[in-house]
Amino acid sequence: MTTETLRSMIRKQVKPALVIFFLITLLTGIFYPVLITGIAQLVFPSQANGSLIVHDGAIAGSALIGQPFTSPAYFWGRPSATTPFPDNAGSSTGSNLGPTNPALADAVKARVTALHAADPTNTRPIPVDLVTASASGLDPDISVAAAYYQVPRVARERNMSEQVIDALVAQQIVHRQFGIFGEPRVNVLSLNLAIDDLSAGRITVTPFASTFTPAPEYTTLFFGIPIMDWVQLILFAVVIAALIIPVGGFMVKVYTGERTFLSPVLEPIERWLLTTSGVSADEEMDWKMFAVATMIFSLIGITFVFILQEVQQFLPLNPAAIGSVSWDLSLNTAISFATNTNWQAYAGETGVSYLTQMVGLAVQNFMSAAVGMAVLIAFIYGFSRRSGTTIGNFWVLLVRSVMILLPISFIIALVLVSQGTVQTFGGPVTVPLLNPVNDSSGNLVTTQTIPLGPAASQIAIKHLGTNGGGFFNANSAHPLENPTPFSNFVEMLAIVLIGIALCFTFGKMIGSVRKGIAILIAMTLIFVPLLGLAIWSELGGNPAFTPLGINQSSIYSQPSGNMEGKEVRFGPVQSAFFSVVTTVTSCGAVNSMHDSFMPLGGFVQMVDIQLGEVVYGGVGSGLYCMLVFVIIAMFIAGLMVGRTPELYGKKIEPYEMKLSTIHIIIPIFLILIGTAIAVLIDPGKAAVFNPGPHGFSEILYAFSSVSQNNGSAFAGLSANSLFYNISTAIAMFIGRYVIIVITLALAGAFVVKKIVPEGEGTLRDHRPLFIIWLVFVIVVVVALSFAPALALGPIVEHLNIVAGGLIHV
Amino acid sequence: MSDLRQAKNPHAVPGLYRRALIDAFWKLNPRTLVHNPVMFTVEIGSVITTLLWLRALTGQSEEPAGFIGAISAWLWFTVLFANFAEALAEGRGKAQAEALRRMRQDTIAKRLDNRYAIQKGKSPEPTDYQNVSSSTLRKGDLFYVQADDTIPVDGEVIEGIASVNESAITGESAPVIRESGGDRSAVTGGTVILSDWLIVRVSANPGEGFLDHMISLVEGAKRQKTPNEIALSLLLIGITAIFVVVSATLWAFSQYSVQTAAGIGTVISVTVLISLFVCLAPTTIGGLLSAIGIAGMDRLIQRNVITTSGRAIEAAGDVDILLLDKTGTITLGNRQAVELIPVDGTDIMNLAETAQLASLADETPEGRSIVVLAKEKYGLRGRSVGGTETAPEMQFIPFSSHTRMSGVDQGDVRIRKGAADVMFATILAHGGTISDQLKGEVDRIARAGGTPLVVTRDEQALGVVYLKDIVKGGIRERFAQLRKMGIKTVMITGDNRLTAATIAAEAGVDDFLAEATPESKLKLIREYQSGGRMVAMTGDGTNDAPALAQADVAVAMNTGTQPAREAANMVDLDSNPTKLLEIVEIGKQLLMTRGALTTFSIANDIAKYFAIIPVAFASTYPSLGVLNILQLQHGILSAVIFNAVIIVALIPLALHGVKYRPMSADDAFRNNIVIYGIGGVIAPFIGIKIIDMLLIFMCG
Repeated sequence: MTTETLRSMIRKQVKPALVIFFLITLLTGIFYPVLITGIAQLVFPSQANGSLIVHDGAIAGSALIGQPFTSPAYFWGRPSATTPFPDNAGSSTGSNLGPTNPALADAVKARVTALHAADPTNTRPIPVDLVTASASGLDPDISVAAAYYQVPRVARERNMSEQVIDALVAQQIVHRQFGIFGEPRVNVLSLNLAIDDLSAGRITVTPFASTFTPAPEYTTLFFGIPIMDWVQLILFAVVIAALIIPVGGFMVKVYTGERTFLSPVLEPIERWLLTTSGVSADEEMDWKMFAVATMIFSLIGITFVFILQEVQQFLPLNPAAIGSVSWDLSLNTAISFATNTNWQAYAGETGVSYLTQMVGLAVQNFMSAAVGMAVLIAFIYGFSRRSGTTIGNFWVLLVRSVMILLPISFIIALVLVSQGTVQTFGGPVTVPLLNPVNDSSGNLVTTQTIPLGPAASQIAIKHLGTNGGGFFNANSAHPLENPTPFSNFVEMLAIVLIGIALCFTFGKMIGSVRKGIAILIAMTLIFVPLLGLAIWSELGGNPAFTPLGINQSSIYSQPSGNMEGKEVRFGPVQSAFFSVVTTVTSCGAVNSMHDSFMPLGGFVQMVDIQLGEVVYGGVGSGLYCMLVFVIIAMFIAGLMVGRTPELYGKKIEPYEMKLSTIHIIIPIFLILIGTAIAVLIDPGKAAVFNPGPHGFSEILYAFSSVSQNNGSAFAGLSANSLFYNISTAIAMFIGRYVIIVITLALAGAFVVKKIVPEGEGTLRDHRPLFIIWLVFVIVVVVALSFAPALALGPIVEHLNIVAGGLIHV
Repeated sequence: MSDLRQAKNPHAVPGLYRRALIDAFWKLNPRTLVHNPVMFTVEIGSVITTLLWLRALTGQSEEPAGFIGAISAWLWFTVLFANFAEALAEGRGKAQAEALRRMRQDTIAKRLDNRYAIQKGKSPEPTDYQNVSSSTLRKGDLFYVQADDTIPVDGEVIEGIASVNESAITGESAPVIRESGGDRSAVTGGTVILSDWLIVRVSANPGEGFLDHMISLVEGAKRQKTPNEIALSLLLIGITAIFVVVSATLWAFSQYSVQTAAGIGTVISVTVLISLFVCLAPTTIGGLLSAIGIAGMDRLIQRNVITTSGRAIEAAGDVDILLLDKTGTITLGNRQAVELIPVDGTDIMNLAETAQLASLADETPEGRSIVVLAKEKYGLRGRSVGGTETAPEMQFIPFSSHTRMSGVDQGDVRIRKGAADVMFATILAHGGTISDQLKGEVDRIARAGGTPLVVTRDEQALGVVYLKDIVKGGIRERFAQLRKMGIKTVMITGDNRLTAATIAAEAGVDDFLAEATPESKLKLIREYQSGGRMVAMTGDGTNDAPALAQADVAVAMNTGTQPAREAANMVDLDSNPTKLLEIVEIGKQLLMTRGALTTFSIANDIAKYFAIIPVAFASTYPSLGVLNILQLQHGILSAVIFNAVIIVALIPLALHGVKYRPMSADDAFRNNIVIYGIGGVIAPFIGIKIIDMLLIFMCG
């Protein structure tokens, strides 16, 4: 087999590649979303179609989409950065203003002035969410404190007593979901509809006896973090811990062909896929053949998605009549989705048709994730097999990966629909605005267009496969993509689920679960401090707001901290949590705007990505990249104990060291050189949105994100330009495929080796000391590579705030 | 001829440091330095800063000329210090090579004519050979040496027996016997015949002999990088490449920061970028890497072990199975009589007398030990035995490995002693019987790991001599240490299983191979290897050669046969089988030194960032000044100086190796992380601060 030429290997793999590509597209691009849509329309018809509010027999809007309110007689919602008018549901976006951008301070100042002008007698501190733009621009909620803050104004305008309005607000409070998740909040549209009803005498409320004084519910802090956020963090840890063994064990069984409880369903599908494509399940491949198969399959995917975008205007399922995509953007998106990066230079609502989303992008979500997992399993075979030559069959591993992803996505999709994530083939719905507004050119806007689509099915795999490419532009900040705190919780679980469970799978497959757990512990040791730093940074709020009479501290019913670019239903802690989860894995989905995080919050996100996406990581890719770090750490450690280093019984020799070193170097080179080119040339610099060091951070973040296949962004950067489309496409391609080929070559190098039995002379790789050493090596490699760049971006931005006398916290 | 011994003390070599210093400059030659990519990049940096300094002298530069000059000088020092370390290590090897080379000088060889027919026990006539230069001898030629001749080249004795002074090689002054056949047939070029004569077949062409190997190895001329060294070099090249990119791209980042982001300050200068690069690059380990390798080889030679490949030393560090010959390694070379047990009502004195008589002519150590036992325990002096010296008909029957018995015929009285099975057969053949008591005693001794010898008079069993293997003192503790290091010891012996098991238990080995044959040894090694183990063994006999060839680390005794020495990848000149343990330690120490210095080198970088980054961007972002936690005034220069000086400071460590104690991998790992990891993080903070204070003191 090894003597085959490249040409003959390609010839051999093209047919299965085309057939399997076609069949998986059919399965995951058509059958799967249609099935989910069918169930969704049957079981959750309201949620699946945009959670429309029927008021007085007419549709009054979506419960999940905020509307703009400018009349002082209405409660105002979160400021929105959408264009050309606020809360334009067809074009979700955050402001992307950086924390030190003077424009942000100016905007906040203007909102403060507006609030004061509308209610000059109200001198209470302004809740921060009322003057900071939401992440999606469509946040339907405000904090309870923000609602109460507006009561005097609305009461006066409506000639009603404050006690009545207080009582109405109290009725409208949406409590924590299941008593645990998210922040208490008030849905602004619902409150305003109610107040209209109250004014019109359609409803009555029992007024409060006196002016409302809030109870100090939020003041319970534990290590600086609100106690209810602790509960959510701990619950997350508990749930994920409980899922490791069932999911990890399930994967072992699927990969090794053992029976599972899903076998009656999955096995026929697997057999159908493999026999139709003419693949024999026991035909093993050496690493070269495996790499050829991987590359052919991926290139077919890139080509298909590219062409699909070019011709989408001629194809069905395009209710918004979206035209063809420019070639560079199309190429960028195709590579972006095939590489599991899901960097989005396009806007989902306006750039691609439903068909492109379904059979192009959503399918790639499955395929790119499955490719990563297949490569990982091949890599594991490299360690677990003794003196072998083959590392499994790519097609078998690919199909089995899909068989793992599909049923879990199925469950997640339905949970999301139940929460309000849309799932329909119907086109956008136009709803009236309760309080019509003028757009930026002065025209009166009386309606809002709610985008719909088969979102839930795609979002499920977007998280589970650590893809991150949103159905809508605002990604998981968009209320129709991530409607509730519980959906947020589920989405975060989905992001880390496979990556964490694969550690168990790995341990089981190499015959020592504790080795897998040791790696999981190392990952967690990196994860927790970074999470702590991000939460601390965001909870501290933006010192620039303090002199403006804005309350950012933890008081009753108000999420404290930096709320610019965040949604009320998540609040700063769960937003920071999500941002860390999405950046340490290679997911890249966002539920808040990373560009608007405080400098240290952004620092954490960048470092997370620069670590190489090895903490839980992208599905498959995270663990294989982690294992390369383990090789490097073990090499130095092995020398220190005076023995040719060996990992899992396999000796690490010059060839493996060469491959591992290149493996580590490539992303570092891509990030640093890409950033350097961008900051030197005009097309690179022109895309920057925020001034000062934050602008540098935007470029550094972009190249970190694409090179490590994360896909999230400091989204202020105007990345849809020829330069960025091409340069990031190159970085994504190299960052994914060169790494995969090296990984497979490593697998091929290790698989032929004998396994040295463990003894006293073996350095135990599951012991605490080695775990700490591994963490040290990873952190030092990354710190030494990126410290200077980070110093000129987020670090100096933070120090400038400190030096500016605006002491953090 | 004690040249080699002298050379082993490097401080005794005159001019060693001076020569290393001169060599350090010669090694600046880029064509030489390019083999060490880390230091080569530093040299490029030095050249660039020197040019910048020259330009600065004419007044065109971003930094003061004094600063550039100082940086440039210290960068050159960095390269020179690394070169010096390597030259020093090589210098010690060269001194040894010189001593060896003196021995290899051309000598006159008496080459025998092709047609010469060897006659057993007869030395050739002068007409049979002609005097030629030793360098003309080719493999397969025969030559003749007699007393006072220097053996011209390596070879194998095919006729004759002679005592040879091998002190030039081994340092042992006692002459050794070399004879044809058996395990003592190899002779080494450069050694001197003391008495008698030999006919020798040349075993290697000139320049390929044993000494030549040794010389080229110690000189480092033929030194090839070992696998671990190559792997580490690759990692270091990778790290260096990262820092090249980090430093180069920093210029772009600085440019953006100055022009776009902050709008003030000056772009970072090339001098500072190069300084940053050199400080970050793993110069400590990069500069000392080859010195560590050469020094490791040197330590081996100091212990009188020659290796034919550096690979073997590294392999020694990986060994997890040691195959040790019982005799000579685990036990003292010979068994000793410890007890006499009379049977069937024989008087003990009668037995002692008979046993002594049977052993008088037995020159084997066992035989002598019986005489000694009879003398010491039963007061029988050899000459007082029964006054039988007067009997003229006393005829000694010497021990032969064929009959496995020895004894004496005193007239009609046949006194014999020998291996139990042989003696039993003899008794039975003469119509005698084996009593249960005799059988019981024989079994008891065998079970206890001893060797029973049965003593008979006229085919009548009198009793049993208990020969016991004496396990070497301290060997048990040694094996326990090895076990802690994860190395399993396996005893190889020709003894039966019972005997082997007892000695194995007494010596504390982990396993044993009894009734070993060349085939079973080879099979055992292959089994271990296919299970992923690395096997080391020692051997001397021709029948060890296949197993030696198969073992990963094979140490032949210098007294061994030529096939054994050729099959091995190391030769112990002292022919000390326990040397294997030291070889393993040297192998481990070599790797540990590399690992420790790599860790130290990388850990150092953290402090250097704190020294350089705040200063480098002070003009653009003064707020970064809070990162200057050491409050340095000359941060960049201090870091560069520290980076150079640390190389010199660590030369002794590189040459002597890190301290080695036998312990488990986990313990060794913990110790080294604490010392070189944590120490490596902290040390530069202190060192750079001290240098900064000195600079302030000197320059203000």
